[in-house]
Amino acid sequence: MDPAASRPAVVIDNGTGYTKMGFAGNVEPCFIVPTVVAVNESFQNQSRSSSKSSNWLAQHSAGVMADLDFYIGEDAHARSRSSSIYNLTYPIKHGQVDNWDAMERFWQHCIFNYLRCDPEDHYFLLTESPLTAPESREYTGEIMFETFNVPGLYIAVQPVLALAAGYTTSKCEMTGVVVDVGDGATHVVPVADGYVIGSSIKSIPISGKDVTLFIQQLMRERGEHVPPEDSFEVARKVKETYCYTCSDIVKEYNKHDKEPAKYIKQFKGVKPKTGAPYTCDIGYERFLGPEVFFNPEIYSSDFTSPLPVVIDKCIQSAPIDTRRALYKNIVLSGGSTMFKDFHRRLQRDLKKIVDARVLASDARLGGEVKAQPVEVNVVSHPIQKFAVWFGGSVLGSTPEFFEACHTKAEYDEYGASICRTNPVFKGMY
Amino acid sequence: MILLQSHSRFLLQTLLNRLRDIEKGVELDYHWVEFDDIRYHVQVSMKNPHLVLLSLSLPTPPPETDFPGGLPSGAVEAVKVAYAGVVQILDPPRDGFNLTLKLNFSKFPPNEDRRQALLVKIASVREIVLGAPLRALLKHLATKTISSDMDQLVALVHRPNESFFVIPRVDKVIVVFPMRFKDSIDTVLATSFLQEFVQARRTAGLNNAPPCLWSSSPPLELNKAPVEALSANAGFVSFVIFPRHVEGRKLDRTVSSLSTFHAYVSYHVKCSEGFMHTRMRRRVESLIEALDRAKPDVAESKNLANNRSFKRLSLKEAHANYHS
Ligand SMILES: Nc1ncnc2c1ncn2[C@@H]1O[C@H](COP(=O)(O)OP(=O)(O)OP(=O)(O)O)[C@@H](O)[C@H]1O
Ligand SMILES: [Mg+2]
Repeated sequence: MDPAASRPAVVIDNGTGYTKMGFAGNVEPCFIVPTVVAVNESFQNQSRSSSKSSNWLAQHSAGVMADLDFYIGEDAHARSRSSSIYNLTYPIKHGQVDNWDAMERFWQHCIFNYLRCDPEDHYFLLTESPLTAPESREYTGEIMFETFNVPGLYIAVQPVLALAAGYTTSKCEMTGVVVDVGDGATHVVPVADGYVIGSSIKSIPISGKDVTLFIQQLMRERGEHVPPEDSFEVARKVKETYCYTCSDIVKEYNKHDKEPAKYIKQFKGVKPKTGAPYTCDIGYERFLGPEVFFNPEIYSSDFTSPLPVVIDKCIQSAPIDTRRALYKNIVLSGGSTMFKDFHRRLQRDLKKIVDARVLASDARLGGEVKAQPVEVNVVSHPIQKFAVWFGGSVLGSTPEFFEACHTKAEYDEYGASICRTNPVFKGMY
Repeated sequence: MILLQSHSRFLLQTLLNRLRDIEKGVELDYHWVEFDDIRYHVQVSMKNPHLVLLSLSLPTPPPETDFPGGLPSGAVEAVKVAYAGVVQILDPPRDGFNLTLKLNFSKFPPNEDRRQALLVKIASVREIVLGAPLRALLKHLATKTISSDMDQLVALVHRPNESFFVIPRVDKVIVVFPMRFKDSIDTVLATSFLQEFVQARRTAGLNNAPPCLWSSSPPLELNKAPVEALSANAGFVSFVIFPRHVEGRKLDRTVSSLSTFHAYVSYHVKCSEGFMHTRMRRRVESLIEALDRAKPDVAESKNLANNRSFKRLSLKEAHANYHS
C-alpha cells in the first residue's frame, strides 16, 4: 500500500476571508488564518532595477530573497502594520483564486510553517467554489503536483463538503440545498446524491464583507470616534460579537428605543498609532447588519432579492422530483451564517413563501384536491462556521477517498487536465 | 535564510489555548503528523481537565541505529531533565506510539515567562527526544569529556528508515548526512542547492560557521557504515563541529539546526520550485499578452468589403495544407 495513504490527509479550505487547514479525522481544523500574504516589495523593486544592468546573479538572489521574505495570516497583518515595506495581497477574491503567485506562497507557508508537514507524505484535499473554472483547477493541480510533489490530490466542491458535514453519525444524506455565506461570496447550491445541480445554482452579491462594510458605514454616519485606519477591523469585530438576527425590524427599533441600556453595547479599543484607549457605542447596527440578507434594499440598490426568496427560486428551478427533498434539508455553512437566530428567521421566511404558494394552488384547484404540505427544514449545527472543512475531514478519512484522488503517477502520465474533474465517491452518499 | 522552528506550532497553540480555557473543561482529541513522519496525539478528558496526554511516534529506525526500548538512547533522561516536575512518562506508551507523556497543568509555574518557556520546550518535544543522542555527543565536545563512543561511527535516525552519521573525536565532531530525494527534479535542485550552500560557507562573513563539504560519493568517514546507508542520490554533506559551536547556549541551536537539516534543504528546494513556477507563469502571461496584441482588430476586419463567408485558398496555401 502507498505509505502516504496510511497518514491522515491534509485538508485545506481556502476561503476569501479565512483559510481553514488541518488533518483529516479531527473535529476541528488546526489553524484558521486570514487568507492574506504580506510580501516585501523592496526586494522586488531591487530585482527590477538590477535587471537593467543585467546582473543575473543579483537579480536571482534578490528574487530568491523576496521569495522567502513574506508572511501570511495574522503575521502578515502585524508585519504590514509595523513596517511599510510589506504590502498585503489577498490571493482569493469572491471565492476564486485571483493571484496565483500569492496563492502558491500562501500554500507554501501553510504546509511548511503552520502544519509543518512534508507534502510528499500526505494526500491533499482542497476545496473550490461551485463556480470555479476548470482552468483554475488545472492551475491548482500543477502547483500541488509540481511544486509540492503531493502523492494524491482531490479538489472538492465546497457545498458538497458542507452537506457531508451535517451527517456523520446517522446515514449520510447527500441531497439538500447548501446556503454558504462566507466572506466574499454567497451561493445557494442544490445537491442531489452528491452531484451539484449546476443549472440551479444561485449567487448573491452580498456576503460577510458587505455586512462589515455596512456596519462600518452605519458607525461612521453616526459619528462614532473610531480611528479610520482601524474602522474596518472594528466593524468586523462588532459584527462577530454583537450582531443578531431580529424577527421584525420595526419592533426591534422600538425595543432599542425603549430600553437603550439593555440593547446598546460598548466597544473598547486602542488607537493603533498612539496607543490611547477609546470606546464607541453599538446600536441599531446590531440587527441591521444581518438584515441585509433579508432586506437587501437597505444596503444596496442594485440587488434587492432577499435570501429566502433566492433559496425558494433555486429549489423551484431544480428538477421537480428533487424539490421536496431539497426543502427538507437546507444546510447552512460559512462564518456569516453564525448570527444568532439566523436559521430561525430563514426557516420562518421560507416557510411563509412555500405556504403561500400551496394556499394559492389549493385555491386555484377549488378545494377538490389538497396539496400535501411541504416540509421546510433549515439545518443548523455547531460546526457551521467551518462546515466545509469538517466535511473534508470526514470524507478525507474514508478509505474511498484515497481511491478517488488523482495520483502523482496519473498526473505525470496524463497532465494537468486530469484535475478538471473529481469523481463523486462512495461515502459521499 | 529561513530556518524551521524547533517547536510544533500546533502543539504550542493547543497547550496555550488549553491553559487559558482550563475551567471550560472541554474534551480534546487531536491527531497530526509532522515532517519526517513524527506523529502526535493530544488528549484531554472531561474528568481531568488539567491532565494532558501527549503521545509521540517516531520515524521507523533503520537497523544500524541504536533504539533501546523504542526510543533513541538517552531520550528518557533528556525528557526527565527538560520537564522535571510537570511531566510523567507513561510505561508502556499508548498503542502505536513510542512515548506518552502525562502533563500536569496544576504543577506549572505561575510565573508568566517561565510558563511560556516551558510550553515552548514541551512543544519542542520531538527535538528533545530525537536529538537526545546528538545532544549528548556534542555536550561531550563542549565539556571536553571523553565518551565511550569516541572515534566510532554512530548512526542516528532522522527520517523513516534513514539515518545520519556522527563521528565524535576529541577536538571535533563530524556529522555526515546522506541526502535522498524521491523526485528526480528535487534531486537535481537539491544537489545544486547543496553545492551552493557549501560555496556560500566559504565566502566572507561565515568564517565562524562549521566547515561543510559536499561530495557525490560517501566520504571516507563512512567506510564502516552498512552498504544500504551509503546510497544517496543527492550526495553527502559533512559538517565539522568544533567546541566553539556548542559552547553555552549555542548547543541548543546547533542540535536544532542539525536535527532539521534534511527538512530545511527540502523546504528550500520547494521554495526554489515555487520561484521557478512564478517566473514561468509570468513568462506565459507576457507571451499571451504579446499574442493578444498581435491579433488583428476584429471590428476592423468585419468592415472589409471583400469579407466573404468562405476563404479562397491560394494554390500555395492549399498545397501546404495538403502536406500538413
Ligand atoms: N460569529 C460570527 N458571526 C457573524 N459573522 C462571522 C462570525 N464569525 C465569522 N464571521 C464572518 O464570516 C466570514 C468568514 O466566513 P468563512 O470563513 O466561511 O468565509 P470564507 O470561506 O473565507 O469565504 P468564502 O467562502 O466566501 O470564500 C467573515 O466575514 C467573518 O467576519
Ligand atoms: Mg468558504
